[in-house]
Amino acid sequence: MEKTSKKYSGIINFLRTPTPTLIGIYIVMLVLFSLASKNFLVIQNIKGIFNNFAVFGILAAGVTVVMIGGGFDLSIGSTSGLAGIVSAVLLMKNIEVPTPIVFLIAIAIGCSVGFINGLIITKVGINPIITTLGTLAIIRGVCYFWANLNPRILNVFVQNLGRIYIGNVFPITTVYIIVAFVILTLILKFTRFGRDLFTIGGNENLARLAGIPVDRIKILSYVISGFFCSIAGLLLISQLGSGRPEYGTGAELEVLTIVVLGGVVVGGGKGNYLGVFIALIIIQTITNGMVLLNVPIYIRMVIKGALLVLVISIDAIRSRRNLLPY
Amino acid sequence: MTAMKAVEATQKKKSKLNNTVILFIILIVMFSVFSYIGRPFFFSKLNLIPMLNNLSFIGIIAAVLTMVMVSGEIDFSVGGNIGLTACLTALLLERGLPGWQVVIIALCAGLAMGAFNGILVTVIGVNSIMATIGTMFIWRGIGYTLSNGESMLAMNPVIDFIGRGFIFKVIPFPIVLLVFFFTITYVIMNQSKWGRRIYAIGANPLASYLSGINVKRVKFINFLFCGFTASLGGLILTSLSAVGMPQHGQGLELVIVSSIILGGTALGGGRGQILGTLAGVLILSILYNFLTIMNIYYFYIQIVQGSVLILVVSTYEIRQAMVRRRT
Repeated sequence: MEKTSKKYSGIINFLRTPTPTLIGIYIVMLVLFSLASKNFLVIQNIKGIFNNFAVFGILAAGVTVVMIGGGFDLSIGSTSGLAGIVSAVLLMKNIEVPTPIVFLIAIAIGCSVGFINGLIITKVGINPIITTLGTLAIIRGVCYFWANLNPRILNVFVQNLGRIYIGNVFPITTVYIIVAFVILTLILKFTRFGRDLFTIGGNENLARLAGIPVDRIKILSYVISGFFCSIAGLLLISQLGSGRPEYGTGAELEVLTIVVLGGVVVGGGKGNYLGVFIALIIIQTITNGMVLLNVPIYIRMVIKGALLVLVISIDAIRSRRNLLPY
Repeated sequence: MTAMKAVEATQKKKSKLNNTVILFIILIVMFSVFSYIGRPFFFSKLNLIPMLNNLSFIGIIAAVLTMVMVSGEIDFSVGGNIGLTACLTALLLERGLPGWQVVIIALCAGLAMGAFNGILVTVIGVNSIMATIGTMFIWRGIGYTLSNGESMLAMNPVIDFIGRGFIFKVIPFPIVLLVFFFTITYVIMNQSKWGRRIYAIGANPLASYLSGINVKRVKFINFLFCGFTASLGGLILTSLSAVGMPQHGQGLELVIVSSIILGGTALGGGRGQILGTLAGVLILSILYNFLTIMNIYYFYIQIVQGSVLILVVSTYEIRQAMVRRRT
């Protein structure tokens, strides 16, 4: 008995995570949507679904790291918007900074925003949600410095960044997401940083007592999130073909829903990228299905908010270890 | 033992007094400086009355949200609540309902929204920050759905009176409401059993539960009260602007929460003063009003709002850490 349980412990652990439920939900949804709309299971539509979640997927990659460490990042939408508009301005015709330098600047912007977030959260000790709510407003305000420039993206390399399909079917953005998720999974599993991050998310005081440099690792997690924000910003301007200060508004809601639905526990310590990936496909399919079924745009907004509340309620019920009476 | 308690109590009273008094001194200094720099417009009837009107609904919501925050929870959905109430009011008026019925329905909607938040937090046990961020989007989305994304005219004698009426032909009605709600919350927090319970729950929920306080009920009723005042704020804003639009109250949660924290309320609960909140609301509203008068873009004011939030919370945290080190 023991032997078998050891042999299959990996599978049993997998079955205990919310991932199998997610796969089940997805299959049900596929059936329902394809019955409801004949345009759903068409190769054109599936291509669209996969290409549309590029930005949210990249953002989710970073937020998952932060949330496993017990943190929170609401500033992702604004940060990607800032990275996007700054690089769009730098790529403008009469400025024309070389493309690699633009990329470096974008990444530097994202990382420094993450660094500042991490610094305020760990060294000053403010609640991460309040901190990133503040930086969300600040960075969105900074984006509007370039509001009247309205830069177009004419650079072919940047245009292709988020638009190419491999073999005319498979979008390259999905490759980025898969690569990012695989690398981050490996980092979380096999490096000291990853294990420390899980420990911090599980019990921060314990981690501190065990001699783990909690502050440094938390700051690093926010920097990683900022890094992915800048990549997402570049993808945004690539796919939309211009730079506008309002890009990325409200992305935090969508990404939060994805990450929590994917089984990353609010408060940290638990989470895997397979779940996040499936949640990403689920949320994007719901969005796509609502478009195909002609659901009015404002009702879509309500449904998305309701989905977030539902998902966090399920998370709250699931993670209640011992029911406290208050 | 009793002597020690008495000493502690006086010390507490002293420090409370000091914080609030310092805030009011800052307020007076700011007001004088702004009146000088922004002359002649800042200190004129043309500016002060609209400023007080605009401040009234922020203040009403902040006073009640202080109670929620002292009990250790938070409500970010007040801005969305305002948007929904505004659209609902305008829609019902368009359908031709009498004004007083519209007011009652809008306030009931506020109670329902508060109840929903309360159930999420107390029954299901969701972290209140997360729950109310989610419901914020739901309320605003419903507001957009009701109004179809447009702004609708809201003209009716009753609705007009709420925001633009005068009592004795001198005192604006929103100011009366503001004073009324601050008095009520002050009495609740400082004189009643209920307020004592709220402080106890914020300081230590487990101990309060063990000493026989129904923690869930107190928190639930706080959320209910908060939803009610948020929709009252929505009614005032609708009346002031004479339109109901779904964008009403967008980003207001940032201003309200930062003014409450500026007033000395702890994020984790257990500490906070209604008078401090009043000072915080006045300081921030005057600051933003001044920035608007000085012709600064809204987007840059947004930067200031975010920075003020972070700055205020950091000063609070740093002071807290210093106190901890000293003891």
